[in-house]
Amino acid sequence: MLRRRARFPWARFLHRAFVALMYLFMLCPLIVVVWLSFFKDAILYFPPSGYTLQWYVKAWANEAFANGFVFSLQVALLAAVCGVVLGVMAALGITRYRFAGASSVNTMLLSPLLVPGIVAGIAIYLFYLRAENTLDRDIVGTYGGLVIAHVCLTIPWTVRLVTASMAGLDPSIEEAARNLGASGRVAFMRITLPMLRPAIVAAALFSFIVSFENLELSLSLVGPGHTTLPIAIMQYLEFNLDPTIAAVSSVQILLLGLIMLVTDRFVKLSQVV
Amino acid sequence: MAKVTLESLHKQFGASVAVADFSLEIADGELVAFLGPSGCGKTTTLRMIAGFLAPSAGTIRIGGKDVTDLPVHKRDTGMVFQRYALFPHMTVAQNVAFGLEMHKVPAAERDGRIRNVLDMVRMASLRDRYPRQLSGGQQQRVAIARALAIQPKVFLLDEPLSNLDAKLRLEVREEIRALQQRLGLTTVFVTHDQEEALAVSDRMAIMHDGKVQQVGTPDAVYERPANRFVADFLGKMNFFQGGLAEGGVFGTAKGARIRVANDLAGARHVGVRPERVRLATAPSGGNALPGVVESTVYLGSQLEVRVKLESGEAILSQLANGSNGGADAGVGIGGTPTQAGTRVYACFEPADCVMFAD
Amino acid sequence: MNTSSSASTAASVSRPRPVRLGAGLAFPAALVVLLIIMVPLLQLVRYSFNHFDPTEMMQQAFTLENYTKFFADPYYRDVFLTTVGVAALCTVLALVLGFPVAYFLARTDSRHKSLYVILLVFPLMVGSVVRAAGWMVILGNAGIVNAVLKRLGLIDQSLQLMYTPTAVVVGTTAVVMPYLILTLQSVLEGMDFSVEEAARNLGADFFTTFRRVVLPIAAPGVAAGTMLVFILCMNAYATPVLLGGTGLTMMAPALYDQITRASNWPFGAAMALILVCATLLLALLSNWLIHRRYVKTMAS
Repeated sequence: MLRRRARFPWARFLHRAFVALMYLFMLCPLIVVVWLSFFKDAILYFPPSGYTLQWYVKAWANEAFANGFVFSLQVALLAAVCGVVLGVMAALGITRYRFAGASSVNTMLLSPLLVPGIVAGIAIYLFYLRAENTLDRDIVGTYGGLVIAHVCLTIPWTVRLVTASMAGLDPSIEEAARNLGASGRVAFMRITLPMLRPAIVAAALFSFIVSFENLELSLSLVGPGHTTLPIAIMQYLEFNLDPTIAAVSSVQILLLGLIMLVTDRFVKLSQVV
Repeated sequence: MAKVTLESLHKQFGASVAVADFSLEIADGELVAFLGPSGCGKTTTLRMIAGFLAPSAGTIRIGGKDVTDLPVHKRDTGMVFQRYALFPHMTVAQNVAFGLEMHKVPAAERDGRIRNVLDMVRMASLRDRYPRQLSGGQQQRVAIARALAIQPKVFLLDEPLSNLDAKLRLEVREEIRALQQRLGLTTVFVTHDQEEALAVSDRMAIMHDGKVQQVGTPDAVYERPANRFVADFLGKMNFFQGGLAEGGVFGTAKGARIRVANDLAGARHVGVRPERVRLATAPSGGNALPGVVESTVYLGSQLEVRVKLESGEAILSQLANGSNGGADAGVGIGGTPTQAGTRVYACFEPADCVMFAD
Repeated sequence: MNTSSSASTAASVSRPRPVRLGAGLAFPAALVVLLIIMVPLLQLVRYSFNHFDPTEMMQQAFTLENYTKFFADPYYRDVFLTTVGVAALCTVLALVLGFPVAYFLARTDSRHKSLYVILLVFPLMVGSVVRAAGWMVILGNAGIVNAVLKRLGLIDQSLQLMYTPTAVVVGTTAVVMPYLILTLQSVLEGMDFSVEEAARNLGADFFTTFRRVVLPIAAPGVAAGTMLVFILCMNAYATPVLLGGTGLTMMAPALYDQITRASNWPFGAAMALILVCATLLLALLSNWLIHRRYVKTMAS
């Protein structure tokens, strides 16, 4: 910390107080939501008359939320797996083999991050409609259609994480393996790939989070009976604000928060985001 | 162990030549140091021997067999990298075991070899540690053990000491030399540090701008440098520009006359090492150039005295701390002749002079 | 000079294989992105030039009427300007409020530093819907702010904080601030701290050092961070919808409505394009301006 002269000790205190205030500002919505989920009264009122766990039970009993949670889980799992497989392959292909147009391919693979979610969502929606007519099968509102769209979200993050990790690897380590008698392929499988493991695991977990919490892209692509949890929450919130929805939201906060903590063990998330 | 033969090795990157026509024979069990400033081509040559780079022209033979087209993992060389390159996800023992597995050493034999080689570098007690738990010096020793475990035909070291601190550098340097001699390893040692090269090598190859300047034993290269680059790169050298006047005398451009021991037609420079230059108040020895002491630098074990000669050139004299010129009011620390402004004679023998054609 | 992967043998036989393998590995991912992102976007662009008829829906055409309609209609002009205004305001607020936090994080050597960073990343992971819900609870008529003010006797009736532009600005700023702080933090950390110390040693006080040394060096990073945040604000959906309601309409919700509720694909597509292009242009403009102001002074 920049050491200031004793003349302004209060400046340092003020700085820290301000930082604390900003943290409160950024975190208070989440704190408040979790707090609300335990309120005894069904209608929002401060201060609460008591605390209870009943809303969590009620939330799970609510079909829209329970189904939404399960559906989001399924979509996120599949999108993460597919995205990581495709993304890791692509990252390897681009970084280790310099082929013509590799950097253009890299840019294209990262491009979904630049498109606004809403715009991408409706573009895909309209594309699916057209495809439905041509192929004569349902695509819009289907599980598969949504998963494929989410894979376009998970691929860029995976490519980013894995290429960044590969860039940080010491090339002489793989050279040492080859010098000790390992062919190129063996050196890669036994030495380089294990060194990439943290990045790959982080990519999988992070992809899961990105897919689970996604709203804008999914809005246009869900169908009756197939809604994601964030969308179910949003639809409820447009009319109601009560401890039930707070409980549902808290579940999402808890799940994604935990996964984030695990991911952080593998890759410093602050560098990625 | 085997001998290594480099035949007209040439490496070019586009228009720039990294290594030009390098030919060398390294005898079985010999340690040759490749020495030179950065960019001189020494690491490039080493990497060609290891197989990481394909030469643009020329051949590499190990033990007489042409290995130029052989991939890295089939060359049977053991390399120690500048930044150790230990496998971070494996323990010390596993790092060493890796090469043995690649060379298909039977499992029963592996343990013994690992233990042997770790004992040699005194890392046996840390065999279950991971690289991140080791200090720099320890990591380097593991890297050495790992390379030796596969019993390679050639031992290659790429500036292995440059990442270590000064004290450790000496220690590891001596260990490497001791090991190399004990095991009779044919070794190529790349370094930019001349002291290192002088200390460990049987022979040295000095390189500059991709070209080999001179190959020889340390004393040969130091005492009889082939050209001005070698003379200046190894230690310090006082140069005088000029030409041979009559037999046995070199006339400098500024008019000083230096008696030399041998004639070299077309010589343009003559040089003498600072440690061969004595300072005296009265002329003595084969050459005694008059001048005035300009400045003195105290370096602990040595004293460096800069003298401005009457003819105008500067000459550097290096004296060991504790040396005493004797009754002739010779130079010692605190003795009069080292004070600025004193009139002295820079004295050296004709036999100590080296002639250069460049 | 990394040639280890392609120079393992001088024989030419193996050289074409690595290239084909590389392209082959990248192909599936590239195909997915091409088919599901690139092509639909191109189709969207094409649709924006089509004609919309209330009874017959979208008709093939090549017209600029959607674009002209957007800029001619005061309602949509207003939506556009509101979006730009809100985005700009939120970006500036996030920058001003976030910079001190970033500076603190960059310079602190507290043991808890990684905890502080995690606390920043955490809100970014849980999704904008949940965070908007939190602000609804805080700002609502029956929410915390009103409850506290009433308890303190400062007001009798609840203040209308929800469904106002203020709510949207507050909520959006809170959502994007972590991104900005993290970007700024890494820029400041990358800076050589001894440059600041040198300035202080030469006699500059804290504020002068900040203005003349820290800011100019950090400028490119600041530009990149604000560009990112500005884009996020322009494209915001959940926060404006939940916190703004009908009191404030922004581009993303408006164009979503056009496509799904009004089924006016051409117009919605045109709006989408306008949003993307305007966002990019404005972001690049601000980037260029910051570079001009600061990077040039460094070079001269």
